[in-house]
Amino acid sequence: MFEVRRWWGKALLQLAATVFVLPFLFPLIVMVQGSFAGAGWGNYSAVLGVPGFFQFFLNSAIIALGVIVLVYVVTMLASYGFAKLHIRAREVYFWMLLVCLTLPEVVLLTPLFATTQQLGLYNTYLSVILPLAALQVPFAVLLTRNFINGLPDEMFEAARVDGANSFRGFLYLVIPLTRPIAAAVLIFTLIGAWNDYLMPLVFLQSQSMQTITLVPQFFVGEFSNDQTKVLASAVLTAIPEIVAYLCLQGLFERGLSAGAIK
Amino acid sequence: MTDSVIRARRTSEPQAKGDRSPRGAGRRRRRLHASGLPWILPALVLGIGLIYYCIGYTGYISLLNWDGLSPEPEWVALHNYLRIFQDPVFWKAVWHTAVFFVVTFGLQTLLGLVFAVMMHSKIKLGVLYKVIVFVPVVLAPAIMAPVFRQLFAANGQFNWLLEHIGLGFLAQPWIGQESTALPVIMVITIWQWTGLTFVLYFAAMSQIDQSMIEAARIDGAGNIRTLVSIIWPSVRGTTVALAILSAIGALKTFDVPWLVTIAGPNNATQFLGTYIYQTTIQLAHAGYGAALSVILLIVALVMAIVFQTAGRERNAEKNPVERGTN
Repeated sequence: MFEVRRWWGKALLQLAATVFVLPFLFPLIVMVQGSFAGAGWGNYSAVLGVPGFFQFFLNSAIIALGVIVLVYVVTMLASYGFAKLHIRAREVYFWMLLVCLTLPEVVLLTPLFATTQQLGLYNTYLSVILPLAALQVPFAVLLTRNFINGLPDEMFEAARVDGANSFRGFLYLVIPLTRPIAAAVLIFTLIGAWNDYLMPLVFLQSQSMQTITLVPQFFVGEFSNDQTKVLASAVLTAIPEIVAYLCLQGLFERGLSAGAIK
Repeated sequence: MTDSVIRARRTSEPQAKGDRSPRGAGRRRRRLHASGLPWILPALVLGIGLIYYCIGYTGYISLLNWDGLSPEPEWVALHNYLRIFQDPVFWKAVWHTAVFFVVTFGLQTLLGLVFAVMMHSKIKLGVLYKVIVFVPVVLAPAIMAPVFRQLFAANGQFNWLLEHIGLGFLAQPWIGQESTALPVIMVITIWQWTGLTFVLYFAAMSQIDQSMIEAARIDGAGNIRTLVSIIWPSVRGTTVALAILSAIGALKTFDVPWLVTIAGPNNATQFLGTYIYQTTIQLAHAGYGAALSVILLIVALVMAIVFQTAGRERNAEKNPVERGTN
């Protein structure tokens, strides 16, 4: 976009970009550097030596997977219904869903707490998966419905003329064609579920159920506020996220922009 | 779930089959005829079933004086709501949310836009820079919180950095004093979300017609002029979308102020989310917390309506051009 011809113009732009990036790098450097202070690698072996450390990752993975599957299935069905099928008072339902988009999760705490206690769901994966999925569905439906709206109706009619019912239309047209937006939904849901702090904090009491977002807190207790080990645990929990991002980078950017351009 | 959907489909089958009419007559049908209600039902059960149930429940609790556990709550009608309007902490939280939204949205937009333009300008190491700016988006605030607590501490790395670049006189306990705690929370948020702003702008800019930019250049527009007059208006849709995301984000703010400054010192980083949490869980005033929640919901709802109207205007403005990437 910027056009620079002279060598000093190019150098200046390069310098500006580099200076721009440094503040973003700084906290990451502080994190890694701080985790090696004092005992060096010893901090890491101390953190890894804590029994059940791996369990945090497993719990986060189970919860994220549960939320993603639930959100994906529900969103695809609903978006197809909203975009291409006849529903009486369709926009009323759609609006009722959209309202949930603005809902802060802290609002759900007290009623969910009381309800999960009564149903015996307290301190189970479900008590976190269900509300997280419910909070993700409105945004996912909004993105996906817009996307499916853009698919030509003629295609669905052609499929119907060829004898496909709506379910086959869904299976053979909607599922394959919505891949780019499904990637966006997958990514938003993954970030949302994996990084969530409040729901696990309130609903997962026993340590064997807790997720990685509760790790720093756990280690503040475990190592009586030894910052170096807390930072080492932060690095260890950040690594899978960074690796996941690097692996999915292409999908990330395509998915995000597929959602944004609409 | 799927089974019942298939069955529902079968009942409407004859209608669909009978439609094999020759091309022409009545073919201009916008939607398939089968009812879509079963399709949206799971979403409604999950969304409306769970969320609306909770909202209703919260509304009921907000009329009680209740600690969240005792079996016999006391009915106090609207007393909790009357209390809110005289609660200085509530107004502080509202003010913080508003300031937080304006500052974070403004700076993120500026930074994201400038960085996106830079990355479109043949920079060396561009891929690496992009990754560095985007990585904060995927890191959990809860995990980064201890890092920032240390970074901005009185003897932390930020003050160390200031001293080494000759700005040592600026060094201060950033998160320990009222005047700087809120800016720190905003800096952390900007650090976290600029990557997303950047990626969305970057994508939107790839959609701009290059010939338009070339035409501007031939007409003598410089870099700044092109940015202001061509690029900025072309990405307006993205800016609106980002404003919505930021505003919702501001209302939902909880993790960062709670984990970095515990909403303090002296409520200096109190947000609605942290205040509701504190009231409900720590002070066990479930009734009052629920009333605060209802107020927060109403604010969010009003905002949603404002956005919807803004979004409609946007769609009306530039509909036909928007599609056609995938």
